Amino acid sequence: MNKPVLLIFGLVVTIVALAIIRTSIANNIVTSGVVLAQIQEQSDQYKLENSILYEKLYALSSLTNVAQKAYDLGYQDQASDFVLGKQTVALKQ
Amino acid sequence: MTWRYRLVFASIVFFFLLIVVRLFYWQVVRAPELSALAQEQYGTAVNVQPQRGDIETSDGFPLATSQITYLVFANPKEIQNKNEEILSLSKYLDVGVASLSADLALDRFWVPLESGVSIEVKSEIEKLNLPGIGFSQQYERFYPEASMAAQLLGFLGKDEQGNDKGYFGLEGYYDRLLSGKEGVAVQVHDAFGRPILASMNTTSNATDGQNLILNLNRSIQFLVEKKLKEGVEKYGASSGMIGIMDPKTGGILAMASYPKFDPRDYQDYPEELYMNPFISDLYEPGSTFKPIVMSYALNQNVITPQTRCNICSGPVEVGGYAIHTWNDKYFPGTDMISVIQHSDNTGMVFVAQKLGLDNMLTGLGKFGIGSDTGIDLQGEASAALKPKDQWYAVDLATTGFGQGISVTPIELLDAIAAIANDGKRMQPEVVKAVENPDGSIVGIPPKVLDQPISPQTAKVMTEIMVNAVNKGEASFARLKGYRIAGKTGTASIPIAGHYDPTQTIASFVGFAPADNPKFVMLVILNRPTASIYGAETAAPIFFDIAKSLLEYYGIPPSGE
Repeated sequence: MNKPVLLIFGLVVTIVALAIIRTSIANNIVTSGVVLAQIQEQSDQYKLENSILYEKLYALSSLTNVAQKAYDLGYQDQASDFVLGKQTVALKQ
Repeated sequence: MTWRYRLVFASIVFFFLLIVVRLFYWQVVRAPELSALAQEQYGTAVNVQPQRGDIETSDGFPLATSQITYLVFANPKEIQNKNEEILSLSKYLDVGVASLSADLALDRFWVPLESGVSIEVKSEIEKLNLPGIGFSQQYERFYPEASMAAQLLGFLGKDEQGNDKGYFGLEGYYDRLLSGKEGVAVQVHDAFGRPILASMNTTSNATDGQNLILNLNRSIQFLVEKKLKEGVEKYGASSGMIGIMDPKTGGILAMASYPKFDPRDYQDYPEELYMNPFISDLYEPGSTFKPIVMSYALNQNVITPQTRCNICSGPVEVGGYAIHTWNDKYFPGTDMISVIQHSDNTGMVFVAQKLGLDNMLTGLGKFGIGSDTGIDLQGEASAALKPKDQWYAVDLATTGFGQGISVTPIELLDAIAAIANDGKRMQPEVVKAVENPDGSIVGIPPKVLDQPISPQTAKVMTEIMVNAVNKGEASFARLKGYRIAGKTGTASIPIAGHYDPTQTIASFVGFAPADNPKFVMLVILNRPTASIYGAETAAPIFFDIAKSLLEYYGIPPSGE
């Protein structure tokens, strides 16, 4: 065969081969949308669970909650310093 | 014969070209339109709501975060037994039976029933398997520390279009940063509803909001709010506020007001409580203003600490007014150190007159008095100083001791912080850094606004204020063993052209440790009834908190 015919033959074969490969890959990946959607659903579910757990964690570890629990358990603050607002009258015997 | 071959060849080429042109028309020219049509038929467009950014204290704990809730909606056309479903739903939703009946009677495909439904309630409703009922995920603002720093945070409300919008405080000031950007995602499905991985799918371009990391210390804020509430109740004040700042950076470590509101249920509280009085309420500061005037006078060398007051032997007459000391005690020939120690109004008149109006106005401007500090909170107010030609001699005199001039607490705190920071005035900053959705953090550097006094003058003024704490009227409440610089304030309240003789704004401002201040604090009680004096009300609160702060920072007594 002469060179031009060989070249055209080669190009046609390449084009056909690439078309077959593209079709094959597209066919395979188009159904992976289902799998991806399942993974996305799982990911969303984990994010939701994380969110719920974080909420509980924040509520339990908040200083407001800890202080209330401490109060319920009987812990009390030290008394503030006693302050005299005015001079008292000293009692004489 | 050759012409027949050529004719056939030309015909083939012609029809081939026709097909190419037609393909070009459908695949290139009409492509966008046909893609859109296909998306409509097979694609589902979903609005993706961004998650609002968190507001976190310096230890990473969120004061405001987003909680997942659900909007319960119904398709009335799919519901057969409306009465049964209404009864089932009414057990779980906060909506009455009548309202549900009205909603489900509508001739629509989509009707909202209730928003803000918790995940637990949603799960219970799902178990009922009610036809025609669906759920849409939403975000709702959640405050793990309840009403802590409520006026600093602000709250999340709605705008006229019903979209989330921040109001007041940080939620208002940083609303755009926190909001993020809504997006749309398109997914293509087959005839059975299964998703197809196709080029028509577009990922959402939604961007979550940025998180704010504050300078606020959660433990200090908690302590301050507790002590403030106790103090307001103990001294019978109508309200109170406390602000604590790092003088070196301007970072706000704590800011509390009492009474306050719950940002989650802000609509249940009066609107007056939404404003942060620490940045928006103007008041005449009284004696807590004296260090500002005194330090500037020292800086301008119009006086020295040893200068003797030659008008302090009795009340001072200025512009037809007689100016007295707070207790009508007078110290002839008193020096400037004693003027602050005794909180001597006549001594401060002497200083103000020595300073002169030009210097006074310049000094006040350098200390930021009469202008916004630029703090990153929505709602800051300030009262501009009068023009120079409107000042009378009595105005100059009274400004010397903090009456006849209006400031916000944050202005005063920022000005006193300059004395604690070698004379450098810093911009108050609530937010320390911003965290992007990708996790990268952008810090907000401290900003120097001005240098009203030299480091040497600041040192001298600090010693004068330490002396005032050790020997002044609040000395009984001071912390022994620590060098704390401070000043009491008992400011009269102007009412209808005169000053109320029975009510005051009691305050105390100070910083510690004096030699290397970790914090500067301002305590204000509005109209205390147990005593009208700052030395007997605000000062004990200050020292009580200061004691806890010094222990928190692990600062040992200096032995003095």
